[in-house]
Amino acid sequence: MDTNGISYLNFLYFLIFLIPMMAVTWKMNLSVNKRLVIAVSRMILQLSLVGIFLQYIFKLDKGWLNLLYVFLMMLVASFSVMKSCNRKEAPYLPIILFSFALPNTVMMLFFNRFIADIDVILSAQHTIPIAGMLLGNSLNSIIIAVNRFYSDLKEGEKEYFMMLGMSGSRSEAIRPYFRTALLTALNPTLASIETIGLVALPGMMTGQILGGALPLTAIKYQIAIMLAIMIVRFAAAALTIFMTTRLAFDDFDIPAGP
Amino acid sequence: MESPYLSLQNINLKIKNQQLFSDFSLTVNKGEAVLLKGKSGKGKSTLLKMIPGFMKFDSGSIILEGKELNRHNLKYFRERISYVSQDTDLRNENVEQLLQEILKYKANRHISCTPETFRDLIREFHLEEDTPVKKIRELSGGERQRLGIILTIILDRDIWIMDEITSAMDPELKKLTAEKLLSLNKTLILTSHDSQWENDPRVRVVEL
Repeated sequence: MDTNGISYLNFLYFLIFLIPMMAVTWKMNLSVNKRLVIAVSRMILQLSLVGIFLQYIFKLDKGWLNLLYVFLMMLVASFSVMKSCNRKEAPYLPIILFSFALPNTVMMLFFNRFIADIDVILSAQHTIPIAGMLLGNSLNSIIIAVNRFYSDLKEGEKEYFMMLGMSGSRSEAIRPYFRTALLTALNPTLASIETIGLVALPGMMTGQILGGALPLTAIKYQIAIMLAIMIVRFAAAALTIFMTTRLAFDDFDIPAGP
Repeated sequence: MESPYLSLQNINLKIKNQQLFSDFSLTVNKGEAVLLKGKSGKGKSTLLKMIPGFMKFDSGSIILEGKELNRHNLKYFRERISYVSQDTDLRNENVEQLLQEILKYKANRHISCTPETFRDLIREFHLEEDTPVKKIRELSGGERQRLGIILTIILDRDIWIMDEITSAMDPELKKLTAEKLLSLNKTLILTSHDSQWENDPRVRVVEL
């Protein structure tokens, strides 16, 4: 199958299937049709714009430009964390950005150098999709972990003080909440690793096979990316919690803020 | 005159537009037992939380052995004070594991607590033999309070701050607990509605 060959007409054929679906949802009073139309239109528009943009970046294929693009993705992801975790004060930005940048950059370079084994280490073809997958996972993991950590801490504030009252230091008293938060962030990946290939073929592998790669090549990539994903999920979540605690407690170790 | 062991000087605190403390002062001698009395909402628990620095106040100072409570002396305060909250808010874990976690804290590593010591204390406070393998939520309120006291005894700090520590116990246990705590010559700062504290001549009652 030649993936370059999807014509815009074929593409429109696919939309035809939406019509019976919308008819059924309308009959069933699901009232999702408006949302559905908007969502599908948005998706087409967004992906088209990204596609056009990426075409240019891929054509230029300059290492610094690819890196800049990755940095912008990190910046957007950091703002997203600040919003989702209700940590909107400016000092949180550099901390969260750093927590994204460190593990993801290391993993991305490692992947390009040793797994993909490419000549140009920052080639667009590898850097951008790999960074995208790693960053998307880090984003998800950080939001889960940070929210869990601070909501557990808030709920268990009396227990936290009781442990300080038993001569625990701040870092000793928050350790159990830290542990739970990291486990919560890791669990989805562990669960999907356990069933990978049995229940569904993972997205990256599917994409490569559709693009013409041999299944065995696709599997090597998939194993490497799953490991990389697990590592960045863990490292990014741990770093973010660790570093935000410096801002989230006052000088008497009292949890501050929302 | 010798400077007092622990003193609270001109404490002011306003919470939600209500002046909870205005120029409140209190001095406590070493080895003294002080009972804070006052209607609920008068700030007894709040005052107890201020001493180890779990609650900030607007102005005034707390001084322990000549050292003022601030971020530089925070560790000094916390390593000399143990605090048991109202309801003894321990995390819901296995009792033995929780004890081990607390004993692993850097400030507690010098403490040796053998399983026998723990078991003896459990007996002394009439807790069930299998308490160490229970989870915190499997304990009743009164059992949890006694566990809080046992932990405090094991940690052996100089100042013991205890918020309503006997409220959920039956009269006999209240008596036993008060007698035990008062016999140890520790500096106790308590709140309680139970009469055996108030009626004991060794206890100084302070009205809020």
